[in-house]
Amino acid sequence: MHQTYIKNSLGGRIFDFFNITFMLVFAFVMLYPFWNQLVVSFNEGIDTARGGLYFWPRKFTLDNYLYMFNNSNLGRGAIISVLRVVVGTATTLFCSGLLAYVTTVRWFSGRRFLRIVFLITLYFGGGLVPTFLLYSKLGLLDTFTVYWLPGLFNAYYMLLIASYMYNLPDSLAESARIDGCGELSIYLRIIAPLCAPVFAAVAVFSAVGHWNSWFDVILYNSSGKWDTLQVYLRKILLDVEQISKLQNEQKQMAEMRNLTPLSVRAATTMIVTIPIIFTYPFFQRYFISGITIGAVKE
Amino acid sequence: MQGSAAKIGYDYEPKPVSKGARKLRRLRREKELWIIAAIALAWVLVFAYAPMYGIIYSFFEYYPGMTLAESKFVGLKHYKDFFSLPDVWLIIRNTLVISTLGLTIGFVSPIILALLINEIRVRWFKRTIQTISYLPHFVSWIVVASIIFTLLGSEGFVNDVLLKLGWIERPLTILGEGSYFWALLTSANIWKGVGWSSIIYISAIAGVDQELYQAGAVDGLGRFGMAWHITLPGIRPTVLLLFILGIGSLLNAGFEQQLLLGTPKTREYHEVIDTYVYRYGIQMGRYSFATAVGFMSSVLGLFLVLLTNRISKKLTDMSII
Repeated sequence: MHQTYIKNSLGGRIFDFFNITFMLVFAFVMLYPFWNQLVVSFNEGIDTARGGLYFWPRKFTLDNYLYMFNNSNLGRGAIISVLRVVVGTATTLFCSGLLAYVTTVRWFSGRRFLRIVFLITLYFGGGLVPTFLLYSKLGLLDTFTVYWLPGLFNAYYMLLIASYMYNLPDSLAESARIDGCGELSIYLRIIAPLCAPVFAAVAVFSAVGHWNSWFDVILYNSSGKWDTLQVYLRKILLDVEQISKLQNEQKQMAEMRNLTPLSVRAATTMIVTIPIIFTYPFFQRYFISGITIGAVKE
Repeated sequence: MQGSAAKIGYDYEPKPVSKGARKLRRLRREKELWIIAAIALAWVLVFAYAPMYGIIYSFFEYYPGMTLAESKFVGLKHYKDFFSLPDVWLIIRNTLVISTLGLTIGFVSPIILALLINEIRVRWFKRTIQTISYLPHFVSWIVVASIIFTLLGSEGFVNDVLLKLGWIERPLTILGEGSYFWALLTSANIWKGVGWSSIIYISAIAGVDQELYQAGAVDGLGRFGMAWHITLPGIRPTVLLLFILGIGSLLNAGFEQQLLLGTPKTREYHEVIDTYVYRYGIQMGRYSFATAVGFMSSVLGLFLVLLTNRISKKLTDMSII
C-alpha cells in the first residue's frame, strides 16, 4: 500500500478525519434503511402509523411475523424460492461448466463455432414478446421448469468458467484421456474440481439471481401456481386487491387489529432479505474474484 | 503428416488417406464432445435463436392461436405506427434521460467511492465499509421498493426527520410525484449499485504499479498528489472502457425499478422503451406491435455496442467482443 511510503501531513490527517466521517455516514445510508424496516416489522402496525419510529421498536410485537407465518402461502413461496435457487443454480453450473469445458478442449474442431454461437446470444436476443410466445407454445407457462430450463446454458457463465479453464495445463485432461477416461468424467472428476473458485463465483451470481428474480415469475407464472417469496412481497407492495383483502381481514379479526399493510410488508421484506444479509459476507471472496475475471474477459 | 511428405517432394504417398476418411477418424475421436455440443446447440437453437426468428411476427398482424400463414402480412406497418404515436418522444426522452443520469452521476460515484475507500488506512475499517457497500446489490428491486415506500411514505423516516427539523411544513409526497421521479430513480440506482460497481475500480487501483508510488514519494508527492497523478491515471483505461460500455447500453434504462416504483401518476416520467414493450406486448396483447418496438430497440442497442466496442479498441486497446 502506498500509504506506507509517506508521512501523514496535517492536511492528510484532516482529510482522514473527513474521509472516516464520510464513510460512517455512507455506512449509515447503506444500512439504516434495512434497520428501519426491521424496526417497523417488530412494531405494532397501528403504532408505526403515528410516525417517529427511528432506532428501536416502540411497541414490540411478533404479530407481523406471525401473520405471515400463519399465511400458509408464504411457506409455499419460501419452498418454491429455495427449490428454484437449488435446481436453477445446480443445473446452470453443471451445463454452463460443461459447455465451457467443451470450448476449451484445444483439438476439438467445433469449439470456435460453439463459442461464437453462444457469444452471439450475449449481444442479441429475440426480445420479450417473441420469448413469451415461444414459452407459451412450448407449454412452459405456469410450470416450475420455466425457472431453470431457459437458463441452462448461460453464455456469460461460459465465458467466466472458460477463461479459468484456459489456464489449466492440457496435460491433465490428456493423460486421463490416454487412460481411457470419457469426456464427461474428465470434466466432472478432473477439470471441475480444479475450477472450484470460479464455480463458486458463478454459483453466487446464479443463486442470488434466482432468489431475487421476480419479473419472470409474474411474466411466465401469471396463474400464481409457482409464486416465489419475492412475488408475495410484490403483491403486498402493489397489488390493490391483496392489500384490501388484508385490510378486510384486519377488521374482522380482533387479533389482527394492530396490523397494517405496511407492518406486514416490513415483516415480509425482512423474511426475504435476512437469508441474503447473513450469507453474502461469506461469499465475498468468490464474487469479487468472479467480477475481476469477468472484467478481463478476453 | 501427409502435407509435409508432399512438401519434401515424394512422388507418391504410401497409403493415401482420403479427406473423408480423415474427417471420419477425427469425428470418431471427437464423438463425445460433439454429443455434448449437439445438446448445447439444440438448447441454444430453441431458447435463444427461435425467439430471434419470432421477430418475424412484427411484420404480420399476429394473434395468439393463429399460425403465421393465417396472419396477415402488414410489412412495416407496426414500425411506422410506433413513430406516429403521441407517446413515442416521451418514451425516448425518458429512456435517454434516465440512462444519461446513470452514465454521469451514476458513473462517477463508484469511482469516487473507490478512491475514498482506497484512502482508508485502517484495514478492518476498509474491509467493513466495502462489505457494507455491497449489501444493497444483493437484495431484489422488490425489497428496495418496499424499503423506499416505507422510508419515503408520508409517515416515513425522511418526512419525519424533515418535519422535526422544520425544513418542511407538510409531509412531502415524494412517491407518485412525477417531477421527483428521475431523482428518486437515480438515487435508488446509485444506492443499490455504487458499492458493487466500485469493486472493479478498487481492484484496478490495487493493480497500479507500487513502484510508481515509491517514485512519487521520492519526488515529494503528497497523498493528494499521488491520488491525482498516479492512481487516477492508473485506472484511466478501466474508467474509459466502462464508460464506453455504458454508452453501449444507453437504451437499457432498466425496467424493474420503473415497474415497481412507477405509478400511473408518474408514467409521463417513468415509461421507458422496455416497460412500454411489456405494457403493450404482454399486458395489452398487442404482440406484433410490441415485437416491432422491441426489435428496433435491440437493433439500435446492438449497433451502439458494436460502435462503442470499435471506439474502445482504438482508444484503449481493450474490447469486449
